[in-house]
Amino acid sequence: MPRTILDIHVIQTVPPSNINRDDTGSPKTAMYGGRRRARVSSQSWKRATRDAFDHLLDTDELGVRTKRVVELLSEAITDQVPELVDRSVKLAEAVLTAAGIKISQPRKKEALQESGYLLFLSNRQIASLAELAIEAAVAAGEDGKLDIAKADVRARADEAHSVDVSLFGRMVADATDLNVDAAAQVAHALSVHAVSNEYDYFTAVDDHKKRDDEEDAGAGMIGTVEFNSSTLYRYATLDVDRLRDNLGDDEATRRAAEAFVRAFVTSMPTGKQNTFANRTLPDVVLVVARESQSINLVGAFEEAIPDDAEGGRIVQAATRLAAHARELHEGFDETPVAAWVFGAGDRKVAPLAEIAERTTLGPTVEALGQLVSARLAERA
Amino acid sequence: MTTLLLRLGAPLQSWGTGSRFVRRNTDRAPSRSGVLGLLAAAKGLRRTDPLEELLGLRIGVRVDQVGSLERDFQTARTRDGKNAMPLSYRFYLADAVFAVAIEGDEALLVGLRDALRAPVFPLYLGRRSCPPAGKLLHDLADGTVAERLAGTPWMASPWVQERHRHADVTLDTVVDCTEDEPGVELVQDEPISFDPRHRRYGWRSVRHRPVTIANPAYKPALPDPASDPHCPMAAFEGLA
Repeated sequence: MPRTILDIHVIQTVPPSNINRDDTGSPKTAMYGGRRRARVSSQSWKRATRDAFDHLLDTDELGVRTKRVVELLSEAITDQVPELVDRSVKLAEAVLTAAGIKISQPRKKEALQESGYLLFLSNRQIASLAELAIEAAVAAGEDGKLDIAKADVRARADEAHSVDVSLFGRMVADATDLNVDAAAQVAHALSVHAVSNEYDYFTAVDDHKKRDDEEDAGAGMIGTVEFNSSTLYRYATLDVDRLRDNLGDDEATRRAAEAFVRAFVTSMPTGKQNTFANRTLPDVVLVVARESQSINLVGAFEEAIPDDAEGGRIVQAATRLAAHARELHEGFDETPVAAWVFGAGDRKVAPLAEIAERTTLGPTVEALGQLVSARLAERA
Repeated sequence: MTTLLLRLGAPLQSWGTGSRFVRRNTDRAPSRSGVLGLLAAAKGLRRTDPLEELLGLRIGVRVDQVGSLERDFQTARTRDGKNAMPLSYRFYLADAVFAVAIEGDEALLVGLRDALRAPVFPLYLGRRSCPPAGKLLHDLADGTVAERLAGTPWMASPWVQERHRHADVTLDTVVDCTEDEPGVELVQDEPISFDPRHRRYGWRSVRHRPVTIANPAYKPALPDPASDPHCPMAAFEGLA
């Protein structure tokens, strides 16, 4: 069974900025390779990705859209508790009726009942509804009356964010049955070079006071803002098969994977954006499809890139990324299924064009979408 | 006995054993629950699956590169943006490298090695945002945990090895042991169940013990004066 994993590597330069700060207002940092690096935490960039995601996808479009909910639900019930095989259809009907969903007999006599309209349900929602039915069946015993509260069914069916939950997971301490293991992994972004944070001392003028000749000319407020500027290495990996498990639908998986890659590549956390206007796009993006395991290439930057690096910091970063990827591929007999590279200009993209097909964002997303579809179809 | 050797290295890793609520600590070395969790993820075990098979493994960790502690401060809001969630602090080990020896039944270890080559679930070093970097999987060979940790070459990064100006290096190891050994310590990181509904950890006993191994990057500090073209004393050689 072929697995599919998408690794996304981004080299991105941000000017003076404070994208992600700690509780003292300093930009976050971390030691790596013995040098202090700028850091943007994974949760910060996940949040940005998620927000970008909302604009790329209508979450209602994803999942299973079907009238044959009784069939789906009864299958889920027997999957979880095989002993309920004889009662599963009755239980499924009871849950749907309790939720206020009208079901009726379709024209074909022997077929199961169907809902009057197409229902959109994620895999997770179906499993969750099945659990509810099982709980009710256990509580009622062999032939007791089923007691299913409408509110319970609604709560379980009303999981609106199934796509981002499928990607980023969910941890709910007081309702663990709603937990989902994330299919995507996002690493903390680290600068490829050493940084030291700098301080911007500022004064703010009191306009009204300034107009008054009697008043002194002092500032209305003073302060400092900490910042740094950096070339970041960002990495995320998406396990397409796990995403398929969470979403329960091939087409939804393709669309979610496409949207995830696009959103991760083009998003930027909003921290201090109005102060620094630091919104940039990546310098170079490498997307690699693999089938054995995801490979984080951060090791290319363990030795910090010096300021006077040959060809400049960004070209040097792209060169190192390509060399490191090639070394790892050779060393571990790893052959990517496909790889694409795109970015800002020949000089930056050229080093990586040796290990990946050179293209642009749109075609990359389209190509990886097709790859995901083809491989999922093969899996089925 | 057969032992599988792993190298756990990444810019950030985090191995919490005693964390509760909003302060999520990290230990200075990988926890047994963390390592077994990594193996379970590679094999594709679900959190609710039984762990018996893995619990028999003996695990030893060697601290090849100590790393430094980083504190991360995190704010969160509910998805609708209306309410702030509690502020939380997460601790990470930055720049650390560990050699991990896993001893057990050969067939089981062969299975684990293959699973690590093509893991079913994404792997991470203690926390999901800490994917491993570089070479994770090393060899499968004969020997006990103690033998492998004493015999494996130093896995620290080249810059660390070069900075260490001695012919050998003494590294701390943390190895599973029986309760009655001298110097035993108790840690609560023996996984009983990873099931999110009732995650449970038992106590295990470990021993810290130093091992001394060679530094592959060692170069004698003082070069032979005769071979150094800039040595001021070279001019006087043979004049005495």
